[in-house]
Order: sequence, then C-alpha cells, then structure tokens
Amino acid sequence: MNRFIQYSITFFAWISGIILIGAIGVLLIFLLFKGVSSLNSFLIFGETRPLDALLFRKDVLDGLFPAIIGTILLITASIVWAIPIGVASGIYLAEYCNLRWKPFFSFMLDLLAGIPSILVGLFGFTLSIFLHRHLSEHIYPCFLISSMALACLVLPYIIRTTEQALVNLPFSVKTTGLALGASRLQNILFILIPYNLSRIISGIILAIGRCAEDTAVIMLTGVVAMAGIPHSLLAKYEALPFYIFYISSDYNSQEELMKGFGACIILLAVCAVFFTLANILKRKAEIRFATRT
Amino acid sequence: MPPVHRRAAAVKESKIRIDGFKFYYKKRMVLKEINGELEERAITTIIGPSGVGKTTLLMVLNRLYESIPDCRVKGRVEMKLNGRYVDIHKLPITVLRKRVGMVFQVPNPLPMSIYKNVAFPLKLSNVKDKIIIEERVKEALKDAFLWDEVKDRLNDSALELSGGQQQRLCIARAMIMRPEVLLLDEPTSSLDMEAALKITRLLVDLKKKCTLVVVSHYADLTRRISDHVLTLKDGYLHTNSKMMAAPEENNMTDDIE
Repeated sequence: MNRFIQYSITFFAWISGIILIGAIGVLLIFLLFKGVSSLNSFLIFGETRPLDALLFRKDVLDGLFPAIIGTILLITASIVWAIPIGVASGIYLAEYCNLRWKPFFSFMLDLLAGIPSILVGLFGFTLSIFLHRHLSEHIYPCFLISSMALACLVLPYIIRTTEQALVNLPFSVKTTGLALGASRLQNILFILIPYNLSRIISGIILAIGRCAEDTAVIMLTGVVAMAGIPHSLLAKYEALPFYIFYISSDYNSQEELMKGFGACIILLAVCAVFFTLANILKRKAEIRFATRT
Repeated sequence: MPPVHRRAAAVKESKIRIDGFKFYYKKRMVLKEINGELEERAITTIIGPSGVGKTTLLMVLNRLYESIPDCRVKGRVEMKLNGRYVDIHKLPITVLRKRVGMVFQVPNPLPMSIYKNVAFPLKLSNVKDKIIIEERVKEALKDAFLWDEVKDRLNDSALELSGGQQQRLCIARAMIMRPEVLLLDEPTSSLDMEAALKITRLLVDLKKKCTLVVVSHYADLTRRISDHVLTLKDGYLHTNSKMMAAPEENNMTDDIE
C-alpha cells in the first residue's frame, strides 16, 4: 500500500510536469502556426520604410511599430517606478518594521496582490479625472498614469520577493556586517542587498511578465488604438496586449485576425528579450555573490 | 539555589565587568544572573553544555543580541576604555563593535576577494587612503598568521581558501580595526585538527594585543590555553579559575608545533 502511494505520487508529479510543458508547447506551436504567415515587415512597419520608422523619422500609421515601442516603454517605466518603492518596502518589512505592525502590513500587501487589475485600472482612471479637475486641464488618462497604475499592480511581487529573501537569510549572514561595525544602513547596502540581488531580480522578472500582459489596467488609463509613439509622459500611447485584445474581439477579416496572432508572437518576443536581459543580470549577480550552501 | 556572586580572585585587571546581567528570550529566561570579570589581555574561555546560552552571552558583549527579535535584557556590562569603565549600552553601537571584534563558529568570509574581505571594516569606517588600507590589511593578515599563505593571491576569492584559512581570514578581518576585545564563538569546532591547532596557537599570540573571550566545547583545545575558564550552567556563570603558569603555557604551544 505504502509503495503504491509512493509510486502514484511520483507518477502524478511526472504527469503534471508533462502536461504543463505540453500545454506550453502546444500553445507556442499553435501561435507560430497561425501567426508566422502574417509576420513580415508590413505587419510591423506598414507602408513606412523600416529605417525611417526605426530612426523615428516618420510615423508608422498602419503597422505595429508604435505598439511595440509603447509596450517596451510601458514595461520599462512601470518597472522603474516599482523597483525602488518595492525594494525599499521589502527592506522595511524585513528589517525595520515593528513586530506589532508587521501582520497588518503583510495583510495589506496580500490585499494589494489580490486586487483584480480592472480595479487598479479604474483607480488610475479616477485618479486621472481627479487630477484633470483639480490640478491641470491637460491631464487625461495617459502613459504616466498607466505606468504608475501598472507599477501598483506589480509592487506586491517585488515587495514580497525582497522581503522573503531578506527574512530567509541565515542569522550568521545577517550579522556578519553588523559584527564588523556596520550600521544598519551599511549592512543593508553592502551585505543584504548584494547577497539577495539574484532573488530580487526573480521578483522583477515576475513583474515584467505582468506588466507586459496586462490589458485591463491600460485600457482604462490611456491606451488607444491609434496614437503613434508617445512623445511625452502625458500622451496617449499604443500597446501590444491592447491591440491583441481589440483585434480578437473586433476583427473584420481573417487577415486581420492573423495579424493578431502575429502581434502575439511579437509580444512573446518582447517578453523574451526582457527576461533574457533580467536573467543575464541575475546570473551575473549569482556569480559575483555566490553564497555557499 | 543560585550560586553566590563570586569574583575570580585570579583576575588581575578586568577589561569587562558584568553585573547582575539577565537575558530573556520571549518569555524564557536564558541567562538568569551573570556576574563576572574578564581579565585584560588574557584568554577567558566560557564552557558549558550546548543550548545553555554561551553564544548569547558572547553576543551580549558586542550587543549583537539586539538583532534577535523578542529579547530583553537587564543588568550592567561595563568595559574599560581609556582607563575608565563605561556601560557598553551607552556607547554608540558601531563604536562598540569596532572595539569588540567577533569571530563566528562557521567561517563567514564575504563573497569577495581576500583583500576586500579584510579591508571591509575599513570601508565601513570610510577609510579611503589606499596606502593606509594596504598597510592595515598586511598587518591584520600577519596578525592572523595568514600573510605568508595568501600574499601572492590577495585578489583571489576568499571562498577558495580552506576552512582553516577562512577562519584565520575572519580573525584578520576582525583584527584590522585593532579591537580591544575579540570574541570567538567555538572558532575551531568546524575545523580539522591541524587547522584547529593553528588557530589555537594564533590565539596565544593575539593575547598580547587584545582581550580574548572564547566560547568553547568541553573537549576543545582552546581550553588548554586559557587563563581563565568559566562555566555557564543553568543560566549562571560559575568561576572555576584555572590559571596556567607561563612556562606551562609555552610547553603547551611547543606540543602543538
């Protein structure tokens, strides 16, 4: 009986892994199969010459280029907002937070992580209306509001990974610097963060994925179908996930739908580039601060 | 029944005085009443069964216990600085920890080069002059009997050193601030016999420069080179002074060689 259970668990674990990898494989093959035929320079640059578009000399009106740039800028901006706030909050929770307050903050953080993205979008939308009325007439839903709302959405990932990485450090590592006369801040800057850099980057990778795919937030906070490349933080912009959503719900011909699949492949490629960059950084951090087991 | 407060008669001049010190972890009283004096420029070894709070007592002396959440303390610990006894709880923490170095049970070099490891405390103190740093690193590595072994590869990673060398590196790192007291938490217990012997010899030499407080196992070598042995048991510190005459001590180191 005991042996039977043992074998079943092993079997179940294997099957789960195979199904998961199989599903991802099927999805990728399906996407490539459908979308590869529409992947060409026309899909990205439309009538504009690629070189002109890449050098921002001419606007691309009927291609995905503005959406690709929009997505890249959006991911970058959201991550730039989220990293300092997230890492600092994680450090606060792990190192400074009063034990009495910690459960409260943890609960709020879980709540933030559990908020549906459409609500975060709605919050961004309301915020932009509020700012429009009370601060400046020029503020509408825009790139800045979108990126900040997305940053709110991904903050919990970064805060949690940073906090967990710091909390789970062995006592001996945490006190190495302190015992040598480091102040608390020095200990965080010279020991705790370097030791945890690779784990913090893991959290950032999760956040990048989330920023790249989220449609609900940006739909309410400033993305539009035709805006071109955003020229300021207060401008409207285009983004790939929105294009995919809009094409798939509102296509007029089979050809247009195929363009949607092409856009999916491009979005995957954009993510892949970000993940690769993050992973290279992570590998470097690991080599430099390899902790012994 | 708690033992009466006994001061070790053999202590000539005390570097550290502990008076009625109590340590609570959560609701448990780990150290019930610690009284004692630690002699200046001598090796004092604290022994006792595991889990009795030896490391905790050591961490009291550089206030590292303050990193442990949920603990409380009572009582006084004084250290002699420039001829006066000062309550260590009134000193700025970074100042105290630069005067009281600590070496842990398991060597804990930072994942950087040998040179940077030893120079790390200077970086913390904002020492920028490269010539001074270089001199101090050399001095500290010599203090720790490590200079000859590593002088040609200072830029190699400290993690490539053997266990014994890593421990001596940690001692060098602690010595670079020229501390007045060096705390060692079972410094030889994770090492093989030969490496442990080297550390033991090193401790006898370091005694000239600073006061050593060693937490040790019963059967440990360090016990044999100690000037005083204190036993921590049931939350009390018992004095069972075992002064060693100087010639005997020399024989001891000869044995080791």
